[in-house]
Amino acid sequence: MIRLSLEIGQTQKPEAILFYILAPLSVLAALGMLIVRKAVHSALLLAWVMITLAIFYIALDAAFLGIVQIVVYTGAVMMLFLFILMLVGVDAPDSLTENIKGHRATAIVAALGFGGLLISLIGRATLNHVSVGLAMANEPGNVQGLASLIFTQYVFPFEVISALLITAALGAMVLAHSQKSAGARLSQRALSSVRFRGDSLANAAGLPSSGVFARHNAVDVPALLPDGTPAKNSISGVLTARGDVQDSTQYALGSLPKVDDESGDK
Amino acid sequence: MSDTPVLQYSFLAPILIVLGGAVIGVLLEAFAAAKRRAVLQLTLTLGTLFIAFLSLLRIRNLTSAKAAMGSVMIDGPTILMQGTILLIAFFAVMIIGDVDNFTAQASAVPGSDEEKSALQAGRQQTEIFPLTLFAVAGMLLFPAANDLVTLFVALEVLSLPLYLMAGLSRHRRLFSQEAALKYFLLGAYASAFFLFGAAFLYGFSYSVTLSGIHAAVIGGTANNIFLLIGLTFISLGLLFKVGAVPFHAWTPDVYQGAPTPITGFMAAATKVAAFGAMLRIYYVTFAEANWNWRPILTVIAIATMLVGSIVAITQRDIKRMLAYSSIAHAGFLFTGVIALNKAGLAATLFYLLAYGFATIGAFGVITLVRDSSGEITDLNRWAGLGRRSPKIAALFSFFLFAFAGIPLTSGFIGKFAIFTAAYESGNIGVVVVGVLSSAIAAFFYIRVIVMMYFADDNGDSLTVVIPSPLTSIAIWVSGGVTLVLGVYPTPVLNAINTLATFIR
Amino acid sequence: MNPYIPILVIGAFGFGFGVFSIVAAALTGPKRYNRAKAAAYECGIEPSPQAQGGGRFPVKYFLTAMLFIIFDIEIVFLYPWAVSFDQLGLFGLVEMVLFIGTVFVAYAYVWRRGGLEWD
Repeated sequence: MIRLSLEIGQTQKPEAILFYILAPLSVLAALGMLIVRKAVHSALLLAWVMITLAIFYIALDAAFLGIVQIVVYTGAVMMLFLFILMLVGVDAPDSLTENIKGHRATAIVAALGFGGLLISLIGRATLNHVSVGLAMANEPGNVQGLASLIFTQYVFPFEVISALLITAALGAMVLAHSQKSAGARLSQRALSSVRFRGDSLANAAGLPSSGVFARHNAVDVPALLPDGTPAKNSISGVLTARGDVQDSTQYALGSLPKVDDESGDK
Repeated sequence: MSDTPVLQYSFLAPILIVLGGAVIGVLLEAFAAAKRRAVLQLTLTLGTLFIAFLSLLRIRNLTSAKAAMGSVMIDGPTILMQGTILLIAFFAVMIIGDVDNFTAQASAVPGSDEEKSALQAGRQQTEIFPLTLFAVAGMLLFPAANDLVTLFVALEVLSLPLYLMAGLSRHRRLFSQEAALKYFLLGAYASAFFLFGAAFLYGFSYSVTLSGIHAAVIGGTANNIFLLIGLTFISLGLLFKVGAVPFHAWTPDVYQGAPTPITGFMAAATKVAAFGAMLRIYYVTFAEANWNWRPILTVIAIATMLVGSIVAITQRDIKRMLAYSSIAHAGFLFTGVIALNKAGLAATLFYLLAYGFATIGAFGVITLVRDSSGEITDLNRWAGLGRRSPKIAALFSFFLFAFAGIPLTSGFIGKFAIFTAAYESGNIGVVVVGVLSSAIAAFFYIRVIVMMYFADDNGDSLTVVIPSPLTSIAIWVSGGVTLVLGVYPTPVLNAINTLATFIR
Repeated sequence: MNPYIPILVIGAFGFGFGVFSIVAAALTGPKRYNRAKAAAYECGIEPSPQAQGGGRFPVKYFLTAMLFIIFDIEIVFLYPWAVSFDQLGLFGLVEMVLFIGTVFVAYAYVWRRGGLEWD
């Protein structure tokens, strides 16, 4: 494995290159997330920010955090975020009207002030200080070290997290699942028995798919049945209604010997 | 790699029993017939809380034990706060048991045909009961947590069900859903700040345990800027939970929009849990760094008392008024926190018990005042209620007296104890503001009473419904506790005084 | 010598394969166009420029996404556990079984209430 960060506390060349390429991109994407008008674009930029963060984590020797960042945030949270956007409507415009007068100006001033304060404080606390402790924490290996903490010292909070997950499932079901009255729709089992215990087994394995073998497999060419007639039910009803169906007999092999002639058991 | 962890299950028993009950509740949701769910769930929930309380009584003398590899601290304040939470939750569940207050089907769009058919079919969201138990489990863990990881997990376990339950009101559902969303978004934001603070405190002390951070605080060699940032952000997360000014904005909306039994539960039990955790953090971990947090918390206490009391005067809605009153009470509780002495700790614990029961009772009464469209919370329409239902109105007046701190109610003893503690710590300014805002607050409580008894009956269609047996037990017991704590508080005060010592 | 050279070589291979596949398909494949084939997705359903209801998804997707996240987070805990399985011993196994069992309660609830059925 390639170690991107070679020594603790010193930025080595590959890590520096990685950082100076990705950091501006990440900041640009974060700014773009705020500025772009369409919510979906904003969400995609957020995904980019999350992926770059994951790369940074891994480069900083926090392998587990980087993987969790990708698995949970970039995968799952992003998906959830997109679904929420789509529940609201992809084209729903942001409301830019201010309900409280001077809200935006105050918010920007407060945010800049808060950010400036935080940056100056963190700067004072970290610049000219040697960072310590990472080598110690990572001594048994990043993931192994975490595992030994989660499953020994913090085993109780870990178990309690399962309560959190159950609550989340309850919440999702309560808020989003409507209990349809029983019998409103046939169950999978009932549908299956209708299919196999009905009058005919002709369509039990599903409808035939469109196209003629090796000659034309587009959706507008009906399949040819063994007796040479086109199968109407292999074509979408929409195409039939629009009159876009082609005559598939033109693709049949006229010269093929008749099956009956070849059969030897007559 | 290391020895097998020892969890000391008997010390954790109250929390584990409540969690177990909640899990069984979810299984009941999955496998029990829909018709019997409500009764089964109610029995299970009350039974679980009762058994958890019994198991707490069994460990009440083990007042200096660490459990779960040091994640949980069982000391006197833990026992007292867990007991208070379990008692409050028990009576709150009795009121929650009246499922008429909750939506028939939360996923149905308000006003849709689906909602109507769910109402006609008599569906119920009995998920409320396991959710309540999960919240109670989080609340039990929150004041006992001895490291920041456990503290954060407990914070989420107690918050998540509350966010959800705030949106399940039967009437005025859009309002309720808006409340839930606001509570969730702001709560998630506050949690993020809490986590950020925890990270900085780890940077400060190389430890997430409260004793480890304390060692770094008295060691004095660590990076103090990290301490400041961490302390600020952790406090911010906790201040949000108790609804202190300027993090109070969610309180009126959520109290008003949430189903009233949930509002009562939330107002009473969340305050105990959050103040419990706050007391532990400030008294155990940051006591020696009090020059960092005491001045700003003093300002917050004063602002909270004043804003809560003054804005409550302008409210026309009873639930909103009680929300601002709860903000003011958070301010009074802060005077106990910043006293930073044993008297302050004991007084805060007593105040939490007294306020909790009065709150459960008061919101219980509000669930009873209805007309055909549901609960009536508009204060003007309460006019003349005292003549139509003298008993209920008298009980409600009694709870309001307790909030106001009139003698012979628990509120008086609580306020007296807490202001005495603040006075002893030399914080005269806070005491003056506290008494002043108590006087302002008394005005709007008395106004409600005057309205109920002396205003003209406006011939309104609202009635006080006959409470279900459980609801009436809950509100009358709350009234009884409020009276007993006001008339003869000595045994409780003595018990609290013997137990109220934090162990590091 | 430089550990980045294999990465560059793999990158070049990947890029080259992509370009080759597309160009080869474009050069060798037969091209018989007709109306149905030219339609979007070749499926016979006209995509409308303005999606129904402003492009809003049914809330069912949200439920699926939420359930996915819950089990995703469960898997995140499985990863360090599996890596350190040998060191954690029986206690770790019991804890993990307890955790999975508890989260499985949520699964049982969702399954019994029909949360896994699409309709």
